[in-house]
Amino acid sequence: MSIERMNLTRRRFMGNFAFATGALATGVGSWVVRPDWANAAEGPIKVGIATDLTGPIAYAGNADANVAKMVIKEINAGGGLLGRPLELYIEDTASNESVAVGNVRKLIQRDKVDMVLGGITSSMRNAIKDPIVARGKTLYIYPQLYEGKECTPYLFCTGPTPAQQCDTFIPWLIKNGGKKFALPSANYVWPHTLNVYARKVIEDNGGEVVFEEYYPLDQVDFSATVNRVISNKVDVVFNTVIPPGVGPFFKQLYEAGFLKNGGRLACVYYDENTLNINQANEIEGLASCLDYFKVLTKEDPFDAKLQAAYEKDFPGNFLFAAGSAATGTYRGLKLWEAAVKEAGKVDRESVAAALDHAKIAEGPGGPAEMVPGKRHCKMKMYTAVAKGGNYEIVARSDGLVDPKEC
Amino acid sequence: MSQTGGIEHHASTFAAVFEIVSFGAIIVLVVLGLGIIASMMGIFNFAQGEFVLLGAYVTYLAYAHGAPVWAGMIAAPFVVGALGFVLEALIIRRFYAAPIVAMLGTYALGLIIRESVRGLIGGFYLTVPEPIGGSIDLGSVHISAWRFTIIVITLLVMGACYLLLARTSFGLRVRATLENPALARASGISTPLIYGATFAFGAALAGLAGALIVPVFSLFADLGIRFLIQGFVAVMVGGVGSFIGPVAGAGLIGTLSAALPWVMSPVVADVLVFVLAIAFIKFRPQGSLLGKGSNHHVD
Repeated sequence: MSIERMNLTRRRFMGNFAFATGALATGVGSWVVRPDWANAAEGPIKVGIATDLTGPIAYAGNADANVAKMVIKEINAGGGLLGRPLELYIEDTASNESVAVGNVRKLIQRDKVDMVLGGITSSMRNAIKDPIVARGKTLYIYPQLYEGKECTPYLFCTGPTPAQQCDTFIPWLIKNGGKKFALPSANYVWPHTLNVYARKVIEDNGGEVVFEEYYPLDQVDFSATVNRVISNKVDVVFNTVIPPGVGPFFKQLYEAGFLKNGGRLACVYYDENTLNINQANEIEGLASCLDYFKVLTKEDPFDAKLQAAYEKDFPGNFLFAAGSAATGTYRGLKLWEAAVKEAGKVDRESVAAALDHAKIAEGPGGPAEMVPGKRHCKMKMYTAVAKGGNYEIVARSDGLVDPKEC
Repeated sequence: MSQTGGIEHHASTFAAVFEIVSFGAIIVLVVLGLGIIASMMGIFNFAQGEFVLLGAYVTYLAYAHGAPVWAGMIAAPFVVGALGFVLEALIIRRFYAAPIVAMLGTYALGLIIRESVRGLIGGFYLTVPEPIGGSIDLGSVHISAWRFTIIVITLLVMGACYLLLARTSFGLRVRATLENPALARASGISTPLIYGATFAFGAALAGLAGALIVPVFSLFADLGIRFLIQGFVAVMVGGVGSFIGPVAGAGLIGTLSAALPWVMSPVVADVLVFVLAIAFIKFRPQGSLLGKGSNHHVD
């Protein structure tokens, strides 16, 4: 009895300790956040998170891990799922696909998790989906906005797709910017695939693509591009250049007088994190289209509550923002929760069957529901414009927007 | 009509030349310290990019704590130079006998600095405003005031370095120590001190470069590594052993990598710069654009 008691205390201590140190990623790469209660007959349900806690996009990965901790804590506080507590296993994918595959195998083989959520870049998703879904026979939820076309069975996407980010946004840009578009882009899969869709929407709405050009991912000087933008009198720069290039690029555009001449910047991954890359005046009027902006907390009580809860638990620099998959992570976990409740069990087949049409009434930016048979998620979309270093919502979708995938 | 077209054409040519020269100046600034350490000390410092990063970080720290940005820019070379002096005494000194080990050792050092800074800034991209912001308007052409300032400072720093190494007694001691350390010691020159001072000087130049470029590129952990490869190629092309070789190499590589995207796909241009550099080194293995160079680097 006393030994058991000791164990329980130590376990609880370890749980809290892991919780407290989880954000201080040092490269060891594994964290377990155990529930405070573990008296259920069947043992806990195991949730795996595989995300980039270290490396260049650690700011996004840490925010996602924080969201997972918050959601799991909240579910456990409400009595868990099916009377069982949830246990959270976090592995570092380290912004490095080969490290990631090894760490994801730990989740599957050693920890035997019931579901994996994570991966931020498309290359990461492609690297870890096979170990999870095919060889690992486990459910996988991918939370980030991405280029679409991911139709692997048992792989569910909860971030925005090109249709969701372009269908209402591009007509808005044509009306509030002009018809002549430039598509400067980083040379990898997301910009290439997104641009195919964006070009179609631009042309269908009477716009024209003046040039579409790809740059090495580490290019930081864009004088030639800026010159083409200015000399072709481009109205809208629909940017998919990513950091580190995007900061110098926007600065050079600003210095060349693009904004002064009435040009409009547009970038569909721009959220509260990326606002800090440039000085506010260099990106004044930049338009973005995402499923959530922090400014929504002023009008939506649920968003206000969610944002406040996150900031209370995680006051640091890792923001709850749509561009880093934090909103997709929240949505993914809550949809999965709804699916497990409906299925009444946690095996992959039953949960996948329920997740196929799962719905949540409240989430970041509004409700969300999976499109049956498509493994993608309908959600509300918002167009926001940067003004003085903050966003203002200037347009919103009428209802839930269809992902148009698979 | 054709008149206006002609003016616009001239204006855009001027803008192009300015942009290309300004990027060339940035590369020269970054490579200056690298070239001095490589030429004067015979080791290739793979941590040089991280000294650039540290200069940028010091500038950011000053700005984040409410000090004016220019104060941070002045402090950066001193802070990074002092760190360079300490690192030379503690670590770099042990590598002089083995240049290959020195590359690995300095690379490891750079990795430690880079990942520490990444931890300190949380992996974010942080903006630092330029002390002289905005653009200079010349008719329809707008050129960046800060890039113009960088060109001016680069020219001044180049001139000062040349005078220091070629015309002062300190420069004479540095060159003597390199040419023949034993004889230099016999003549009463404290060679360990000279090595330390030279390394610190090279590090300080990197710190200055970082401080000046951080408003252009923003602060992020991989800021330095971006320029390391270009710097390495510049030194190879320019040739080790003289002051002017690496500087000329940097000017060429910088200008080329900014100019090629004007006439071809940027992805092709990126590769072509290196292809041209390799071809050049193949035909001029001594490096040196200027015909002289490594002949007086005798060990």
